[in-house]
Amino acid sequence: MESVILAASECDVSEEIICAPKDVLELFFFEDALFTIGGFNFTRTVFLIFLAMFIVLGLLYFGLRKGEKVPSKFAAAIESLVTFVKEDIAIGIIGPEGVKYAPYLLAVFMFVIVGNLFEVTPLINFPITSRMAIPLFISLVTWVIFVFVGFKKNGISYLTGLIWPKSVPIALRWLVGIIEFVSTFLLRPVTLAVRLFANLVAGHLMLTLLLASGWIFISSVGDIGARAIIGLPWFVFGLGIYLFEIVVAVLQAYIITLLSAVYVQTSVHPEH
Amino acid sequence: MTPEAADVLKGAIALVGYGLAAVGPGIGIGIVVGNAIQAMARQPEAAGMARTTMFLGIAFTEALALIGFVLFFIA
Repeated sequence: MESVILAASECDVSEEIICAPKDVLELFFFEDALFTIGGFNFTRTVFLIFLAMFIVLGLLYFGLRKGEKVPSKFAAAIESLVTFVKEDIAIGIIGPEGVKYAPYLLAVFMFVIVGNLFEVTPLINFPITSRMAIPLFISLVTWVIFVFVGFKKNGISYLTGLIWPKSVPIALRWLVGIIEFVSTFLLRPVTLAVRLFANLVAGHLMLTLLLASGWIFISSVGDIGARAIIGLPWFVFGLGIYLFEIVVAVLQAYIITLLSAVYVQTSVHPEH
Repeated sequence: MTPEAADVLKGAIALVGYGLAAVGPGIGIGIVVGNAIQAMARQPEAAGMARTTMFLGIAFTEALALIGFVLFFIA
């Protein structure tokens, strides 16, 4: 059990009141590779990425395959999910041409929602999106898409419209231009990635601290006697956070998809 | 100051910094959600649009608090 709960491996239950790791930064270090193939390190996170990929592929394949006359409940649920991303996010935000971006948005939504829900899946309990590489990669792909679409649809006026906006009084144009340039090209991918990453890290950290503290205090009742009662409020609080994290996991997947769509929309119609 | 005391002090200052970073977004999210609820109550047929915009507003506002949270760990 101690090796499973990394955060609480060293905890003096007779002195402390919560099992915090000695250095929280340890949680952000790379794990040791389980094995290496041709320079690629295979860690638990890599396996979970592949697991998430196969889950998404399986859900979409079995949910959307043709052949059954009456769709089952499972197929109807998957179909309504796909329709939600396509109609509400892609077409609803970007407009009629948003259909082109629906496959990308669906891929992001499904992968991130499965990755986030690993956080509250028993026996896995690790959101793969709490490793910066995954949110950063997703937001960089979104960045490439919206910059490419902006230049393709508007030519060079996409850039000049940003750094020399015609609708602003001429004395302020340079200032607004700098702010727009920095926020569009530099801050957007960073905040998009950090939002998902920090939400999941915060949730994962909170669940680990509370549930591990609760478990360790209660399980060491033989050693410390009545002091073990400290574990009970931690455990109850942790279970409350557990329910909250399910909502956060779904909401953050929705928000990263929505923001990707909004960023593409600002490139397709830069005036609005 | 001993290195241990400096470490403790650094952690404490980072904690205060995160607290300060959480104040503004807290107020901001309150305003966003409050006005979205008002909009939904006044115009229930536009509730879907108000909800989508509300989530967008929350996401933009929340980013500041989350950057503060990340800086707390980096510090």
